[in-house]
Amino acid sequence: MVRRVLSLPSGRIAVCVLAVIALLAASGPLLAPQDPLAAGDTPLAAASGAHWLGTDYLGRDVLSRLLDGSRVSVLGSLEVALTALVVGVVPGILSVYLGRTFEWLTLRLADTLVALPFLLFAVAVVALLGNGITQAMLVTGVLVSPLFYRVSRAATLAVARSPYVEAALVSGAAIGWVVRRHVLAKVLPPIAVALAQTVGTGFVIVSSLTFLGIGVQPPAPTWGGLLASDLGYLGQRPWAPVAPALLIMVTVWACNVLADALRDVSGEAGRALLNSRRARAHRLDEADPAPAGGTR
Amino acid sequence: MTTTKEQAREPAAPADGRSAAGARARHGLGRVLATVARSAALFVPVFLVATFVTFALRSLSGLSPARIQLGEQATPEAIARVEAQWGLDRPFLVQYGDWIGGVLHGQLGASWTNGADISTLIGLGLGVSLSVATLALVIGVLAGFALGTLAALRRTTWIDRAVTGFVTVISVMPAFVVGIVLVAVLAVGLGLFPSAGYVEPGQGIGPWLAHITLPAVALSLDVVADVARQLRSSLVAAYRENYVTGALVRGLSPRRIFFTHVLRNGLGPALATLGLKFPSLVGASVVTEWIFGLQGFGRFANDSAQSGDVPAVQGVLVVSIVLVVAFNLVVNLVLARVTPAAQRGV
Amino acid sequence: MSTLSQKPLAERRAPQRPAPARPVAPALSVRDVRISDRTAGREIVRGVSFTLAPGRTVGIVGESGSGKTLTCRAALGILPPHFEITGGSVEIEGRDIGGLTPAEWTALRGATISAVFQDPASYLNPSIPVGRQVAEVVRIKKGAGRREARRQALELLRAVHLRDPELVYSQYVFELSGGMLQRVLIAAAVAADPHILIADEATTALDVTVQAEILDLLADLRERTDLALVVVSHDLAVVAQLCDEVLVMRRGEVVEQGPTEEVLHRPRHAYTRLLIAEHEQYGLERFRTAEEDA
Repeated sequence: MVRRVLSLPSGRIAVCVLAVIALLAASGPLLAPQDPLAAGDTPLAAASGAHWLGTDYLGRDVLSRLLDGSRVSVLGSLEVALTALVVGVVPGILSVYLGRTFEWLTLRLADTLVALPFLLFAVAVVALLGNGITQAMLVTGVLVSPLFYRVSRAATLAVARSPYVEAALVSGAAIGWVVRRHVLAKVLPPIAVALAQTVGTGFVIVSSLTFLGIGVQPPAPTWGGLLASDLGYLGQRPWAPVAPALLIMVTVWACNVLADALRDVSGEAGRALLNSRRARAHRLDEADPAPAGGTR
Repeated sequence: MTTTKEQAREPAAPADGRSAAGARARHGLGRVLATVARSAALFVPVFLVATFVTFALRSLSGLSPARIQLGEQATPEAIARVEAQWGLDRPFLVQYGDWIGGVLHGQLGASWTNGADISTLIGLGLGVSLSVATLALVIGVLAGFALGTLAALRRTTWIDRAVTGFVTVISVMPAFVVGIVLVAVLAVGLGLFPSAGYVEPGQGIGPWLAHITLPAVALSLDVVADVARQLRSSLVAAYRENYVTGALVRGLSPRRIFFTHVLRNGLGPALATLGLKFPSLVGASVVTEWIFGLQGFGRFANDSAQSGDVPAVQGVLVVSIVLVVAFNLVVNLVLARVTPAAQRGV
Repeated sequence: MSTLSQKPLAERRAPQRPAPARPVAPALSVRDVRISDRTAGREIVRGVSFTLAPGRTVGIVGESGSGKTLTCRAALGILPPHFEITGGSVEIEGRDIGGLTPAEWTALRGATISAVFQDPASYLNPSIPVGRQVAEVVRIKKGAGRREARRQALELLRAVHLRDPELVYSQYVFELSGGMLQRVLIAAAVAADPHILIADEATTALDVTVQAEILDLLADLRERTDLALVVVSHDLAVVAQLCDEVLVMRRGEVVEQGPTEEVLHRPRHAYTRLLIAEHEQYGLERFRTAEEDA
């Protein structure tokens, strides 16, 4: 699957962008030309040789803060995605096998989580449970987990009803073995798509929370925090928000592109599961009557 | 002819000659009631689970009004006294029952920070937030429909690709980034709009609109992107359906086919998207209200959360859940009206 | 292409029904129509010809993929994308369809030529009560007011032998059976009084009794309104019951063409003989003997 994603141009671009971002997160603090916390004597300076992206209101180097802050964003969004993965997929697959009560309970829970405005909830929970990025991301991960629940449940249902799985069960195979052997193979592609999407969502959420100053204490640099501090000085440095904003957008975009590429290569089965509406059989072969009549 | 034989087998044929008009009225009312019942069945567990989790937050948080009122150096006795005053020494379930009883009567309790009535406080901010959210929905629906329809009607042309590209770009722009860009360019740069604050519509529709336009635009882009994308794909799918061919051979014009047949069926998924989008719209208001200096619902949520005012946060969450559920009820009613077949899972 | 199909059609009238007293202008004439798939560069339909007078019926029989549906779609101007007429001509009431603008097509369809299809449920809008879809045609094509359109639609529903038209009028597709839906679809198709009706596998998905009733209904409409019918089916029995003339198609070619009883009794092409042989045990004999008696 990895090879097939890389064979698509869009997949290659997305993977490259994400690799660069990951590299920044891993080595950003080392690459930072200056101490991201050291206040300088030239506040709100424009871009120059000494400060490639200028300085903020305390004279701190923006480039250094950006590089240093990338780690929080990347780790945070990965935390969101992995939490959502675990919290969503496990009950999603089990809901098909563990009986009606469990199914009903998890379905209601998923409905509930979907109905919650998750940014609002994340703000509330984080503020009440203590100011830490890890708690914030764990809570957010739980809140976005219904996506994984639905995707894995739909895929499992499709597989569980298929003749070969029934045959395996009838012939006495253990549920665990069936799940490992048959279900996972069908469930993994849609989950990979959901994972890529969720990492993108995670970026937006981490940035939003850090923008509000939630999860990370002020002097520590974050992408969202950079934007927040720029907001007060738009009059002096109107171009300041461009760099962090672009970084956030490009990352989110790359995640979405990767999700699309995964969907494209995961074949008809994966697409059908994510888009059951489109999967309806068209009754008239491939016929697509022109709306405006005429055969010319 | 042997029609009687055929119709004897039809389950849908009425057994006697009751008036068709009456049957029709029962039909319509029945559908509305069924929709309301289904939504309510979904609503009750959602509400109970969500409020319970919300309420459990206080116990988990370990926060108490005593710390806010007495400070960090309070003696254990003083803390116990204050907590007893607030009824926090009772068993957890009793507190929850008490609280949920109040919620059902519209009473959300008193703020820990200043003892003010939370329902009143939220009510003050709700006007601002609902103004912004409504305008954002209007913009999102109008622009989303226009773009989605345009792309669907000109599918596979450069117009379609341009719209799809534009939608992709705006879909990756978080509300707060859009907000900052709008403030930087339109408010600070060009001075076209006020950069912050709010004016009641009573003091003039013009100033009111001027103050809520930028936050509404910032909130709406996400809706625009999702509605446009969904509408495009469902319209394209609807055009492939046989009933379009059917309408075509009956001699209906392309325009009429689009408006009465294709749009109607393509609308369903887009409306459903709108229902799913509403929670994130409410959530994103926290950020936009912060950027645009609006004293709304989201700002109140943020402030209360940061100051550890648990009852206020609980109130905010309850109100947001009610908003989401109410909005989805409306969406479901409209959906049942627009595409009755889809509602039956047919 | 078989030499048979190039004989003048006037020579081969079905004898069991009297031919019109004076020659009438053909409602539909198809001359050596060829249809190609532009992307694949293949010719899918290779020369179909027939002439259809008002009040008469032509049947097209063939397996799926034989090109019968494409021929009908060509006559309706609704060929799928990538398909085009690459030879021959189609004239609807003396008018060549080659130069029709989309607006002219819209005016022509419904009012002059119309069609019903297999799987009637999918050809009606699932979100609008079926009666309103019939009334819509009356309103748009005949310029009737709302009330008048409703009255006429109810009359049409009655004319296609639906019991309790008032109730059916306000029902949705998912509330009706296949047989009832096909009646509704026929009512919608003839709502604007077309002169030509194409029934493309209109009875295929229905069970045998309902199928017979729908065929009766089509015959009934033909007698009452002098409708010219094109009946397309893979089922020889359907065609035998209704048609004056039959075209047997296979892989885009007309392998045999002639008056119904002649094709049924004296099939010349091996494929036609095969089709008939397949049907011997399913009651086709009934029609053949009935015709012999007549």
